[in-house]
Amino acid sequence: MDTSNPAVFVNAELLRLYVGRRVRAVIQVLRSDGGVVTGKSTDDNQILVKGSPTSPLSKFVEVVGIADGEKSIHAEIWTNFGDTFETHTYNQLCQLANGEFKHMFL
Amino acid sequence: MAKSVSADAISTILANPSPESSADVPEIVVQVVDLKATGTGGSRIMFSASDGKRKLRAILPASMSSEVMSGKIQNLGLIRILDYTLNDIPNKPDKYLIVTNCEVVSPPLESEIVSEVKSEETGIFLKPKQESEIKSEVKSEAPGIVLRPKQEMVAKSAAQIVHEQRENMAPAARMSMTRRVFPLVSLNPYQGSWTIKVRVTSKGNMRTYKNARGEGCVFNIELTDEDGTQIQATMFNEAAKKFYDRFQLGKVYYISKGSLKLANKQFKTVKNDYEMTLNENSEVEEARNEETFVPETKFDFVQIDELGPYVNAKELVDVIGVVQNVSPTMSIRRKSDNENIPKRDITIADETKKTVVVSLWNELATNIGQELLDTANQSPIVAIKSLRVGDFQGVSLSTIGRSTVIVNPDIPEAKKLRSWYDSEGKESSMASVSAGMSPSTKSGSRSMYSDRISLSHVTSNPSLGEDKPVFFSIRGYISFIKPDQTMWYRACKTCNKKVTEALGAGYWCEGCQKNEEECNLRYIMVVKVSDASGEAYLSAFNEDAEKIVGCSADELEKLKSQVGEENSFQTKLKEATWNSHLFRISVAQNEYNHEKRQRITVRAVAPVDFAAESRFLLEEISKMRVSK
Repeated sequence: MDTSNPAVFVNAELLRLYVGRRVRAVIQVLRSDGGVVTGKSTDDNQILVKGSPTSPLSKFVEVVGIADGEKSIHAEIWTNFGDTFETHTYNQLCQLANGEFKHMFL
Repeated sequence: MAKSVSADAISTILANPSPESSADVPEIVVQVVDLKATGTGGSRIMFSASDGKRKLRAILPASMSSEVMSGKIQNLGLIRILDYTLNDIPNKPDKYLIVTNCEVVSPPLESEIVSEVKSEETGIFLKPKQESEIKSEVKSEAPGIVLRPKQEMVAKSAAQIVHEQRENMAPAARMSMTRRVFPLVSLNPYQGSWTIKVRVTSKGNMRTYKNARGEGCVFNIELTDEDGTQIQATMFNEAAKKFYDRFQLGKVYYISKGSLKLANKQFKTVKNDYEMTLNENSEVEEARNEETFVPETKFDFVQIDELGPYVNAKELVDVIGVVQNVSPTMSIRRKSDNENIPKRDITIADETKKTVVVSLWNELATNIGQELLDTANQSPIVAIKSLRVGDFQGVSLSTIGRSTVIVNPDIPEAKKLRSWYDSEGKESSMASVSAGMSPSTKSGSRSMYSDRISLSHVTSNPSLGEDKPVFFSIRGYISFIKPDQTMWYRACKTCNKKVTEALGAGYWCEGCQKNEEECNLRYIMVVKVSDASGEAYLSAFNEDAEKIVGCSADELEKLKSQVGEENSFQTKLKEATWNSHLFRISVAQNEYNHEKRQRITVRAVAPVDFAAESRFLLEEISKMRVSK
């Protein structure tokens, strides 16, 4: 397992801090047109995801890619997470993973 | 002063529901019957106003409650209604009377006035459920209240019987017949001089105790009066010794000079705000010839297939069923004091076509148990009150000191059961209620988050569960199921106990005392479970092992006995490995060759609910930070 470049767990608020870095986020798909997916982050903000998913997207999707702006991610990997997801729990994970337990993730 | 009720007083009231003023109210004298004081401190007074022909439900305002408390207005007394209002009861054709002003006309009469009959009867009467006032002192076999449709005839014969009874009675008994009896519901701590007439509907065992103040003995009884009101009475030390033998279950007694206090809700078993204590000065006199006076044991049956939610709950249940088999008496050593107590298991079935095992302890095992064994082939019906519901083999019932067992009771449920059994029940196949119980019983969902620990907490603490088993919940993975272990035993289809191969064909069940052609295989296996902290061996029984393995013991045995290249048996076990589950476990101590060993038993298995589990973990994490 290649652990050289771990993707940071982010929501909209944390994305700003990791521009240029490899990130991962779970979004709720709101719109999808012309190579850009508009998604709702787990802290209820909007994130734009650039790229073309290879298969139809479910309601919740995890994207892994490079943060190329304060509000956007250039996606490399798309993973369907299904139609139900505990966004609140994931959001707390993002905060813990970047807060006092950062050393366990990065 | 009028010594009787005004003729047609009720009709007069009904004709004029709301008189303008008390000047508008004619002479209305009624008899107070069924006087009840309810509500806090007895502030709500309800009664029936009777004019000898009709009755009207009535209430006295709280301001008049002192008249009742002081004894001025008493049951069977006469009052003149000075002012009143008649109200409708919503959604019912009946009306009720609010007596806003009245005065006492006469102290309690000997009996309820009935206009057609002139005979003088004592205060013994039964509460009819219909409008007509029927009284019957006729002894009958049935324990319930017997109503006769023709009033006059019955009244005369009742009077005759009462008269004859009186002549034959001893002086003391004759005296007690003229005693004023108070309804249980009217008792309160502030009125000391009362006499009640009650049946002992439950009698507990004499218990000894030791506390800071010394040693003592105590026992409880449950008393029920003719209205069906119940109250618990307790006697300590001298009073306990004095009255223990005098009070016999099912008999009726006059009791006075007891004291009342508010009931301790924690220990309350009977629906009454108060509980009674009797001391050595209390008076207890047996009421003879009163066999059918008060209603017998009141049951609130739970059908066998509805016992699930009661498992391990504090609430006691009542059951009724047809006896399928009776075991011989066993002697069990009680761990707390090393005493040997007798126990007998009976299996009962009901219309839900489910069976359950009831453990009878002490005298119930030896006395009633023997009676049931002797009559077992007649499939007697047994009704049992106050059973504890345990989780042994899924669902198990156990008697306690207070339990009552009645064989072939004369109640409608028994008759229904009898006709069901005789027509179809006898032939139908029954299943034990434990088999196929829904997973969402109390032990399934809620307790998977209480007392959550890591396995290392158990394994690093060898003295856990020394006195009595301790319960925890854990989340872990099945890390290993040893293929060559004894995984199952042959079980009786009715009672789930182990069966032995019978000479010839089939299997013999010691518990049911009969041969069956077929038996079930039931799991009894040891699995290794691991979590982040460590690992341990857990014992699992049928229902839980089925969830772990993913198939029944019968099915797994079929796979094992398959011949061929594919080893589906091993594959099945491998597939069960490294699955995570939530477990409810109990930890206890077992002695093996003078060595104490820890034994961990699975009590319930539930799938991991990842969303709920994540929330739980977040909570645990935040608790960690707070305690830093």
